[in-house]
Amino acid sequence: MVDYLYDGSFEGFLTCIYYHYYEEKAAGIFTFDNYQPSILNTFVEIKTQGDKAAKVYDAIGQKISPYDLQRIYRVFLSTVINREMLLLNYIRLGFKQGSKIRLLHGNPYVSPVEKAEKKVTAEVHRILGLLRFSVLEGEVLYAVLEPDHDILEFLADHFTDRYKNEPFIIHDKRRGKALVAQGGEWYITDFTEKNLPHISQNEKEYRALWKKYFETIAIKERTNPKCQKNFMPVRYWKHLTEI
Amino acid sequence: MDSSLMDKLKILADSAKYDVSCSTSGVERKNVGRMGNASCAGICHSWSADGRCISLLKVLFTNKCVYDCQYCVNRRSVDVERASFEPAELAELTMEFYRRNYIEGLFLSSAVEVSPDYTAERILHCLSILRYEYGFAGYIHAKIIPGVSQELTHAIGMVADRLSVNIELPTEESLQRLAPQKKARAIFAPMKQITNTLIEQKSLKGPGTMFKGQNLNNPLNYLNPEGRELIQPEGANADIGDGSLYQMGSPAGNALIREARYKYKEKFAPAGQTTQMIIGAGTETDSQIVKTSESLYRSFKMKRVYFSAYIPVTDSPLLPSVFTAPPLIREHRLYQADWLLRFYGFTADEMFTKEEPNLDLDLDPKITWALRNINLFPIEINKASMEELLRIPGVGTVSALRIVRQRKVAAVKYDDLKKMGVVLKRAKFFLTCSGKYYGEKDLMPEYIKGKILEPCRIKSRLLPINDETQISMFSPGAFSLGAPQQSKSKRSLESNGGLLI
Repeated sequence: MVDYLYDGSFEGFLTCIYYHYYEEKAAGIFTFDNYQPSILNTFVEIKTQGDKAAKVYDAIGQKISPYDLQRIYRVFLSTVINREMLLLNYIRLGFKQGSKIRLLHGNPYVSPVEKAEKKVTAEVHRILGLLRFSVLEGEVLYAVLEPDHDILEFLADHFTDRYKNEPFIIHDKRRGKALVAQGGEWYITDFTEKNLPHISQNEKEYRALWKKYFETIAIKERTNPKCQKNFMPVRYWKHLTEI
Repeated sequence: MDSSLMDKLKILADSAKYDVSCSTSGVERKNVGRMGNASCAGICHSWSADGRCISLLKVLFTNKCVYDCQYCVNRRSVDVERASFEPAELAELTMEFYRRNYIEGLFLSSAVEVSPDYTAERILHCLSILRYEYGFAGYIHAKIIPGVSQELTHAIGMVADRLSVNIELPTEESLQRLAPQKKARAIFAPMKQITNTLIEQKSLKGPGTMFKGQNLNNPLNYLNPEGRELIQPEGANADIGDGSLYQMGSPAGNALIREARYKYKEKFAPAGQTTQMIIGAGTETDSQIVKTSESLYRSFKMKRVYFSAYIPVTDSPLLPSVFTAPPLIREHRLYQADWLLRFYGFTADEMFTKEEPNLDLDLDPKITWALRNINLFPIEINKASMEELLRIPGVGTVSALRIVRQRKVAAVKYDDLKKMGVVLKRAKFFLTCSGKYYGEKDLMPEYIKGKILEPCRIKSRLLPINDETQISMFSPGAFSLGAPQQSKSKRSLESNGGLLI
């Protein structure tokens, strides 16, 4: 049993899975930067290798199912503790059970992965609504978010379709990267706020109008902050225009 | 800053806040115009301080009204600030909000200025600017005011995604008393027209369609109160032949309908229709309310029937006093009953008995039903059909589906249920797993009810925390008397559904 260390990329993780099957069984899979050596296990640093990763990638798609491949990728992008081991167990069970695995809701290896996936998809859906753009000079839309999970690319399809004629930037401050899109094309790049244009002239007016609307629409007699926070956790309030 | 726009927005949003519907679901559309799309699941953009979601810019076009409905903040006889939007101004505001992702679209209702038709034309004008000038492909929900001509209703349906006509009150008798200018027939006419157009277009979807072909377009329960034979009103046939009243002429011949510069949608109200009624303004029982909403689902294939707890706005002899608290818990229980109708295969008749025409405020309607029909339980998880699983309190549509799916490949164990999302603190009394029963004693309704209510009673300090606690003579605060201060479960009919403060 050995601890595998990898560089944090999805390909690197798949390479570790490859070594788990073809070399030594993995006791744990960790990224370089948050590994604490243990007394019990030695560790091996794994170099990411595209061909080995591709082999595992195809095997998951064919032997388990394309649906599960997507699920594995989504959970990989989450920040759930020990997600690599959850996924390793899931993949091991998947190679035994095949596409049946997604029906085993009560299985101890399946249900944590299901729950982690739900965290990611729920956050994606939430952010679709909670994202707030500002119009910058030159009519560029700019939005900041600090999501729990690395969900930037899951926002792309929705917003590139919605604003197909408007250039926009969605900036993930926590991870220092951004989704940049124009004319229906998008890519993800490293990003800092340096050199951002100023907000456009009437941006402040629309913010004020929206704030006023937000206050007005609430029915005083029904005030229920607990209910509000259940739907809209306070950690998202930082980047909301209205609060 | 145009301060008048700020004032208008404040006045007209304030007037619109009692409109419940804010859903943006029911239509999936890619961006076929210049800006915007629609997602079938619906997207909420914010939640206001009362916990209700904000997903549409919900405003009245104007709050200048010729009607005098007792329950309404904008009625003619009351002195409030009045305002009207200009069509172009509202369209621009909607687009700018939408660009910034504040909203998912527009919800446009209106008071009746001059006449229903005049108002509807202004609404249509504004929506047409949005769709045709701006190429807006996002979500639009428009209110249809009773009394609007069929052509206008149809034209608005062609630019909006969802239409709604408010039924306002659960019985015709209340409607006559509180809104004498509104007539039940005038409310049902546009509803019927919308349903028929959707049938022609073959685009009926949603929970209303579960009630297959029964009394289509027949507002039976509302116009003929319970106990009467079913009378077919004239013209209640769903199939409309050629030459029906609202077959449109050529678009060019009608000034209201413009040639689209953007082909963004060609369907009439693809997200269906909804309605809403006020709870606790009249003296209706819950059973009347649920039966009315069931017949609305049956007759008009509604997507949703919304309830809004009456919030006192005025001291009228016809209404509950201004000190009545809004019946929020009652509204919540009615919504639970509504879910049972739409997703759990219950009928309104099952939920009520002659002795109890109201829902229990302490327990949800599903548990009440289960305790009344305890002979049907316990249900064996590994053998029961989907319909039976849905009847178990604590099992929802998602967990029932998961149980059925897992059963194909592996037996469901008791420990699996929790992972699937079953609420065991309620469900354990009503099910067996491979023949084993996990409730504590036998199936005794009174005992189960006590067990389920225990946590709330401990919270309200009506019960000592555990039975072993010895009562001390010296610390009077250590326990409180076991008698509840006021029994809330049996409500008298005269209390108007709200509890007096």
